[in-house]
Amino acid sequence: MTDEGKSDEALMGRYARGDVAAFESLYRRHEMRIWRYLERNVGNRATADELMQEVWFAVARDASRYAPSARFTTWLFTIAHNRMIDSIRTSRPQMSLETLGYEAPSVVEPLTSDPNSGPLAAAVARDQAKALIQAIEQLSAEQREAFLLQVEGDLSVEEIAAITHSSFETTKSRLRYARTKLREQLKEYA
Amino acid sequence: MNDVPPSQDEPDDVDDRYRRASALDPSRPSESVRRAVLSYAAQQAAQRAAKRVPTKLAADRRAANRAWWPPAIFGTLAAAALAGLLLTPVFLSPRAPRMTASPLARPSPPNAAAPPLSAAPAIDRSRDVSAETSSADTLSAPAARTTAAGAAPAAGAPRSETAAKPRALAGNATPQTINNFSPSNEVRLAGAAATEAPAAQAAAPRPRAAFIPRAAPMLQAGRPVDPAAALRRAAESGDVPGLQTLLDDAVDIEARDSSGRTALMLATLRGQTQAVDALLAHGADPNAADAQGTTPLQVALAGDQRAIAAALRRAGAR
Repeated sequence: MTDEGKSDEALMGRYARGDVAAFESLYRRHEMRIWRYLERNVGNRATADELMQEVWFAVARDASRYAPSARFTTWLFTIAHNRMIDSIRTSRPQMSLETLGYEAPSVVEPLTSDPNSGPLAAAVARDQAKALIQAIEQLSAEQREAFLLQVEGDLSVEEIAAITHSSFETTKSRLRYARTKLREQLKEYA
Repeated sequence: MNDVPPSQDEPDDVDDRYRRASALDPSRPSESVRRAVLSYAAQQAAQRAAKRVPTKLAADRRAANRAWWPPAIFGTLAAAALAGLLLTPVFLSPRAPRMTASPLARPSPPNAAAPPLSAAPAIDRSRDVSAETSSADTLSAPAARTTAAGAAPAAGAPRSETAAKPRALAGNATPQTINNFSPSNEVRLAGAAATEAPAAQAAAPRPRAAFIPRAAPMLQAGRPVDPAAALRRAAESGDVPGLQTLLDDAVDIEARDSSGRTALMLATLRGQTQAVDALLAHGADPNAADAQGTTPLQVALAGDQRAIAAALRRAGAR
């Protein structure tokens, strides 16, 4: 039986009762969304890996604590947000979301080495990826996180406001600003 | 802050562009992360299945409570019934013969010259006062009666030769034997006291006072006040001043509830950081696991109580 049609909440319930396959389905379903959220926020692949592991460990450990009344993605991204903030504040106090820069452009290099891409496709993809990275990099930390929570987590403004402990209006403003800046940066690749 | 919204909302195509670009992004988490996560998830599921661990969480706690309440209720009822059986004679009869039926309660008969007294079984006395007076034939009848009635001997009780022997017995009674009072020596002591008016009034209530300490532990056991339980409640509710008072009174900090949880575990479960700090400062064992083997550190980590987890680790939690 496939888990494709199963809701996140149902899968969590099954995992809490001991069904490991349900957890694997959940992991596959949300792996990349969480990964992009973390990696693009912290801009460091190693840190993102570390946080990724922590987030999913917490999901596994607290499976029975999860209340089905809350959306799984909201819960998942709340954990991710908290882990990311904790990591920045405690493990690396000299760093901040504002000052974190992007290291090696992990998006770009693998694209150019993709044997299935022709030279032109690779070049376009490289340019688009580079533009995307640069555009996200130029967002403020708050705008970047709000935008990533929305596009990766499919979260509402209210949910983002709750996760980031911000007001509804502030969150809405951050999202508008983020989209405006990204739109300008990505204009030529439309 | 410059979070002033732009003057107007433009058509929202940025999300689509972002997603198209992201779809081309081959960046992935390390394979080692994936393996570690899935392995950990399997391990957690196995632990839950084996130990029924999900104790900290509401629904599972209810399940755990369901598993614990029958023995707890039956145990409480049994204890109450036992306490009732032991205490009822104390209140119904001032003689309470069963309380003194143990060998420790019997006065040792160092004086072999008093066989009629030591041979008289206590239980017979409790049932038949007249038998008592007849068997204790060396006592004067007035003295025996007043003792059987539980009243102080009358002042000015006549001195007699027959009273001399019980007095000698009373002289042999050490403080220990007085504390180990029993109706059998009550008669003797009262008989001796009856020979001396001033001493009689002091001696008469003494056996009664000697009774109370023997019953007191049972009375205390039946009372709802339990310092260790109060300590756990204070820890659980975060009542740090109350907790401090109990800790200063040297209440057993490692006492456990019916689920094997210490005060530290309960404070951790409730996220009472200050209570955890106070308990650790008083030497609470940070690794004291509950009946299911769950440690306070595991609870803190599961509950994302990072401050508590850090405090526990500083105290040596593993």
